[in-house]
Amino acid sequence: MAFVELVGLTKRYGPIAVVNAIYLAIEKGKLVCLLGPSGCGKTTTLRLVAGFITPDDGEIQVGGRRVSAPGASLPPEARNMSMIFQSYALWPHMTVFENVAYGLRLRRLSKDEIRTRVETILAATKLSALAERYPGELSGGQQQRVSLARALVVKPETLLLDEPLSNLDANLREEMRFEIRRLHDEYRYTTVYVTHDQAEAMTTADMIVVMNQGVIEQAGSPEDIYQRPRSEFVAKFIGGTNILKGKHTGDSAVACDGGLVLRCGSGEFRSDAATAVSVRHHDIRLHEAKPAQADTNIVAGTVVRQTFLGSHRDYLVSIPGGEMVRSIAPVNVAVPAGQEVWLHFPPEFCRALAH
Amino acid sequence: MSNVASIAQAPRQTRRFDLSGPVFLSLGVLLSVLVILPLFWLLVYSFTTKAGSFTLDNFVTLVTDRAMRRSFGLAIGMALGVGALACLVATPMAWLVARTDLPLRRFVRALVTASFVTPPFLGAIAWEILAAPNSGIFNNLYRWLFGLDSSQYLLDIYTFAGLIFAIACYTFPFVFTLVANALDRVPSDLEDASSILGGKWLTTLRRVTFPLVLPAMLAGSLVAILQALTMFGSPAILALPAGFHVVTTKIWSLFQYPPKLELAAAASIPLLLLTILLLRGQKWILGRKGYTVLGGKSGSPMITRLGRWKWLAVSFVLSILCLTVIFPYAALLKTALTHTVDAPLSWDSFTLRHFHFVFFEFSATRLAMFNTLILGLLTATGVTAIALVVSYLVTRRSVLGAPALGVLATAPIAIPGIVLGVGLFLSYANPTFRLYGTLWILLIAFLTIEMPAGYQQLSSAFKGIHPELEEAGRILGASRLKALWQITAPLLRTSVIATWCFVFIGTIRELSATILLTTANTKLVSVIIYDLNESGDLGAISVLGILLLLVSFTVVFLASRMPIGSTRFQPRG
Repeated sequence: MAFVELVGLTKRYGPIAVVNAIYLAIEKGKLVCLLGPSGCGKTTTLRLVAGFITPDDGEIQVGGRRVSAPGASLPPEARNMSMIFQSYALWPHMTVFENVAYGLRLRRLSKDEIRTRVETILAATKLSALAERYPGELSGGQQQRVSLARALVVKPETLLLDEPLSNLDANLREEMRFEIRRLHDEYRYTTVYVTHDQAEAMTTADMIVVMNQGVIEQAGSPEDIYQRPRSEFVAKFIGGTNILKGKHTGDSAVACDGGLVLRCGSGEFRSDAATAVSVRHHDIRLHEAKPAQADTNIVAGTVVRQTFLGSHRDYLVSIPGGEMVRSIAPVNVAVPAGQEVWLHFPPEFCRALAH
Repeated sequence: MSNVASIAQAPRQTRRFDLSGPVFLSLGVLLSVLVILPLFWLLVYSFTTKAGSFTLDNFVTLVTDRAMRRSFGLAIGMALGVGALACLVATPMAWLVARTDLPLRRFVRALVTASFVTPPFLGAIAWEILAAPNSGIFNNLYRWLFGLDSSQYLLDIYTFAGLIFAIACYTFPFVFTLVANALDRVPSDLEDASSILGGKWLTTLRRVTFPLVLPAMLAGSLVAILQALTMFGSPAILALPAGFHVVTTKIWSLFQYPPKLELAAAASIPLLLLTILLLRGQKWILGRKGYTVLGGKSGSPMITRLGRWKWLAVSFVLSILCLTVIFPYAALLKTALTHTVDAPLSWDSFTLRHFHFVFFEFSATRLAMFNTLILGLLTATGVTAIALVVSYLVTRRSVLGAPALGVLATAPIAIPGIVLGVGLFLSYANPTFRLYGTLWILLIAFLTIEMPAGYQQLSSAFKGIHPELEEAGRILGASRLKALWQITAPLLRTSVIATWCFVFIGTIRELSATILLTTANTKLVSVIIYDLNESGDLGAISVLGILLLLVSFTVVFLASRMPIGSTRFQPRG
């Protein structure tokens, strides 16, 4: 059974629905990523779950209790949740120890128990040596870990993370991704993680929820989202792709402008308007001469730009009909700009998108 | 079941009672009364006759009465003169202090702050002591040096030019501070970019640096103009003996017997409108895009070496400081400690008579000091408390309509002291309230006058505290009040104390509104100083003035020692 459940959750600011009738069920102990561009409503959703704002419509249930509904919401302090903020929100007037102990003191635990639990979590987050420092005396990565420790030490039922890694530099960010996943596997609380970084979502999440303009575009496992996107937005947002548009001509074929016919191995077609076909950059085969085997899924184009990137070459090819296609080829396939090449789109990698 | 256990572990939830609604309402009512009531009565009176029927006569009189028109003209002329002089003096000084290797730069900044703290009316009196045509110290020296008879004099402070000078001495810090801060912030990159493109030193200064600080100059000058326009003390001290009125003294004279309250109300309206206009102008100038320096990190400001010009620069800065701070303070000190103003400096003329007179003989001073202290404490505490709650409600937007409170709390900035004095007199000196002659009406005046400063300080302090700090406390189990108390309050403490001190100093030196609202029983130190000036008792004034300055400087010093910049408490990024 779902532990955290959003039922028709809606939040409006003026006439704009920032979160628009969202339905989502999160199982106990799972890590769910809300992923989307800025302004898509993911942070608002998280703050609704935390109880900092109340919904205009719909409700939130946690463990069978209704915690949020219009006019009847529990305050954040009564939800037994923890949150990690984008700014870390470490209290500058308290030491690392005091910061971490704060939630335990509110729970009126004994001095000894507070000390043991804080020391345990500080050890787990490699902060033991810094216990008496003030946040202003720590590096960004250390501050991030204090913020993690402070959130975890109270053993919350639900852990919320609001873009926790966006203030870290690239190396540290990668390290912390795995750290967050490791701590999640160790403690197994239900986690909602908001990010705009797809790599972050891929590494940490059990389930990715892609949001756009206040609604859920698609929810599923990382493989699901990457390999079987259901909309143009998801296909483009996760991993990057080429989108080619054309008319569904029956069977599983789509006819694009300029004579290219694409047979699609999967997806849904659209009859009333152009169907979009997504083909990822590295799934396109680039040939210097026309390959013999096929007459569909193949087109001739002109190389516009070719970049050597060490492990592969990145091509930009213009095809008849005016589209630009990005493709990745092995280093030994080197065609200079201006020359003709043949592009083969294997049907198993062509996915039709109805939305 | 682990699930049940962990729910039981959640902090006990106490019964919540949301206070923000009632607090919001009562603050709204309070601020509305403070701000809107005096303005309302001001408008009503300006459009009525003595008998109480509607009329436009008051405004007709404003335009047709020659003396009235002249007072407006002179006030505007004086204000523009002050603005120009302040800008002319302050800009080169700010540049020298911020951007050159001028010796004693910190000392200069400190002394400019000192002239900030000096109440302008005290400065005017000090300049009376220095440059009154008959008894002024400079004129005495001049006659003594050249052996001239007593009808000859070098300087006359009782003139239009003298008035402009005496006011500019204590308003130029507005321009100085804004320009110096702007120069501190203009990164050297912008100037380096000009030099690398071939701009010579002077070209860079003229084409890049100067235009960048131009808005600060203009904005600062507008503040100086506004200060001069709405000032009562200095014109009353210097213009009245010179035989002319500016608008503020004219309004005050309309309160003298026989009182013409309706005309005073009508005369206040243009002054109010001018103030609003000037403030709009200032906001427009400072708010324009492109003048805020873009981009992240930039080097420290480029320092120009003065070389052989150094001593010229030093003497320029020193002479300004002598005129604004050193000479006036020395004059006050000398007058306080000698028998008469023109007595020579010698052991024979040394006396503590004035101190004795002020503290033990003159009955009014002790009452005035007591009143001033009480009002200072009450105003500082009241303003800080109200501003604290208002800025919390506004910055955290916890109540719908909270921004309106912020507007109300800021609004009095556009009401000149004397105009507020008129409005409050009309509102509360009637048989219904009968507050005239009590300290209450003064308290109301000071609360209103100081509210904007208090609110602006505290709301910027609140803005500096990320709301997530409080939210982090909430999600870990603290109620709203608990999070406020344990997290926000300690972080705000230094700002609160600084605000309190700031308001306290502002209160103990107020004269413009006080002069209309005070009576024999509710005298304040500032009013006593003004009264003593009328009777020519400069020795006693100097004693009181020095006392006022000592208290002010002590409070400023204490406020500046607060560990606001403590690195330990500075959160990163």
